[in-house]
Amino acid sequence: MDETDISFFKDGLRLDGRKADQLRPVKIEVGVLARADGSCYIEMGGNKVIAAVYGPREVHPRHLQEATRAIVRYRYNMASFSVEDRKRPGPDRRSQELSKVSREALEPVILTSFFPRSVIDVFVEVLQADAGTRTAGINAASVALADAGIPMKSMISSCAAGKVADTIILDPMKEEDNFGQADLPIAMTPNGDITLLQMDGGLTPDEFQRAVDMAMKGARDIYELQRDALVRKYSQMVEQPGREEVHVCD
Amino acid sequence: MDRKVVVPGDLLSEDAKRSGEGTYVKNGSVYSLLYGLANFRDKINVIPLAGKYVPVPGDNVIGVVKDITFSNWIVDINSPYDGLLHISEFPKRIESEEMSKYLHIGSSIMTRVTDVDPTMKVELTLNDKKLGLIKAGQVIEISHTRVPRLIGKGGSMISMLKKEVNCNIFVGQNGRIWIHGGTEDMDLALKTITLIDREAHTNGLTDRIVDFLKTEKGARS
Amino acid sequence: MSVTNVISEIKKDFIYNLLLKGERIDGRTFDQYREISIQRDVIRKAEGSALVKLGSSQVLVGVKMQPGEPFQDTPNKGVIITNAELVPLASPSFEPGPPNEMGIELARLVDRGVRESKAVDLGALCIVPGKQVWIIFIDVHILDDCGNILDAASLGAIAALMSTKVPAARYGLGEDYILPIRDIPIATTAIEFNDVLMFDPGVDEEAIANTRLTIISTMNGNICGSQKSGTGMLKPEQVYRIIDIACEKAKEIREKFLEA
Repeated sequence: MDETDISFFKDGLRLDGRKADQLRPVKIEVGVLARADGSCYIEMGGNKVIAAVYGPREVHPRHLQEATRAIVRYRYNMASFSVEDRKRPGPDRRSQELSKVSREALEPVILTSFFPRSVIDVFVEVLQADAGTRTAGINAASVALADAGIPMKSMISSCAAGKVADTIILDPMKEEDNFGQADLPIAMTPNGDITLLQMDGGLTPDEFQRAVDMAMKGARDIYELQRDALVRKYSQMVEQPGREEVHVCD
Repeated sequence: MDRKVVVPGDLLSEDAKRSGEGTYVKNGSVYSLLYGLANFRDKINVIPLAGKYVPVPGDNVIGVVKDITFSNWIVDINSPYDGLLHISEFPKRIESEEMSKYLHIGSSIMTRVTDVDPTMKVELTLNDKKLGLIKAGQVIEISHTRVPRLIGKGGSMISMLKKEVNCNIFVGQNGRIWIHGGTEDMDLALKTITLIDREAHTNGLTDRIVDFLKTEKGARS
Repeated sequence: MSVTNVISEIKKDFIYNLLLKGERIDGRTFDQYREISIQRDVIRKAEGSALVKLGSSQVLVGVKMQPGEPFQDTPNKGVIITNAELVPLASPSFEPGPPNEMGIELARLVDRGVRESKAVDLGALCIVPGKQVWIIFIDVHILDDCGNILDAASLGAIAALMSTKVPAARYGLGEDYILPIRDIPIATTAIEFNDVLMFDPGVDEEAIANTRLTIISTMNGNICGSQKSGTGMLKPEQVYRIIDIACEKAKEIREKFLEA
């Protein structure tokens, strides 16, 4: 099947009924894991992603230590059952690249100099994938870092834009990602400083700019949802102390 | 007092002079570094809801010996950084080969941070009558961010607690607390500290703790 | 080097003193399980899935199926492949990398329960004898290790299998159908510490005990697998006592959570 076989729009709406500049439904829960220092569960459309933060903690192996700052490690991993055709467990080239750029998306806001010789570990598990797992992972990781009490200059929010049927769209879903013309994920601070930018496909310079604008608008909306989730967790702690209920995959 | 939940990056004030703990200044404005509760007084401080204990000289902490080298005990202090207790900081003169006779792996100690260098080498001492090996009682762990609530303003909460539950209590700034007393007294102390830990972020905590102790003790007698 | 988990003697003593009084740190009785919840079909991309919460422990199990070649010695039988990921998200002591011996033991025990109970009729999974059979992948994803992840994983595996739909249509092999399940194996684990037997251990209890025994029992009350684990020793009487309680607990869990 190639892109010409798919009609991406019906009556001006997308396959799942969204407008071109509309996000999929997003759900965020903070503090879903007991063992981790900070954690977050996120659903973005059909994506189900969980992030955990451990640290700052001792670095093993020791030669990775840095005398004046904490190192940040980010591990993006897909569960074997998260995709249509079972994925072989363990890291592959794709997950290693995503881990690297995701770490670099978060590191600029983390006050690593507060914790010399330590490591801040971020673990992201994709439980169900539906296009946009890296952006979901970064959004969850940013909330989990805050939940772990890691000092940061700001939150990081991430969203993708794409191009299908010569139209720029926000937050592509699986079909749009597979058969679309371009995918452009970004991550940024609420001020609009971009910390991740990737693109594949084909865009004119003008389209590129419009895609960045649209992805930034999406990321801003996600920032509000991240913030709400954190504030909500706090009020739950005050109203029902000790009842820090866990909600994964509900 | 004005309090508000904030997340990292929230704008707190346009007056740089009000920057307190857990905040940073950029272009003359004050922003939050942490997810936590911002207290707006002259200075704005953000109290985190979680986070790791980072040792500061002068802190009393409770540690667990995790290794022994030629002249140091390596002590886990519930922090990203281990503490080093040098043989010379033991209250009595001992030889290197008998170190494990006095403190072995798994021993809990009440100790104090004497020095932290820029590479986060943490030095500890036992040279004070209040410090030493824990031989009896219980050690419980709460988040170190809750320790200030347990101590209370000017030590009000902890001294009230010690009196009411009739226990010895040693509060480690690293969130580990030693309790020693009669079995029932220790149970009550444990319950009360758990309650303080759980409700540390709520208003009117002291009154609730006083009521709680009254009810519990009433039920006992 | 792995993260050292020094448990202080004070804590050990505390747990031990409670044991002498017949108590556990979280107030349970020695044979009492923590609260169990099972949510099925949580992962749409999988043919079957289940999220099990055992107290605060959380385990997600996904089942995927695809046609493939049979093993040469069983040309007419389907294949089960069980894998467990002890991902570092789940515990400060888990590390990234290929499964270590702990993960492999866990996967093999989950596999043993499913296989030896004959819960899945492998003969019915043959598509073309000697050429093509269904391969069932059971993937265990540990999310939060608050103790006894083995029992949670086993429970997740059977619950996920019970919700599995064979994706026949996707491979042009007729209509999708529910995977028939013939038995419901349940694993129950106890630890031994100073002659006290405790079921469904939490992390602190696991840390103090040297000995663990897992009994996997089937619907007719027989045992289809067991494993002693850890560096301690067990007396035969202790083993028999664990079996008695284990079979009873398994029956309770099965009736309450899986036969509804």
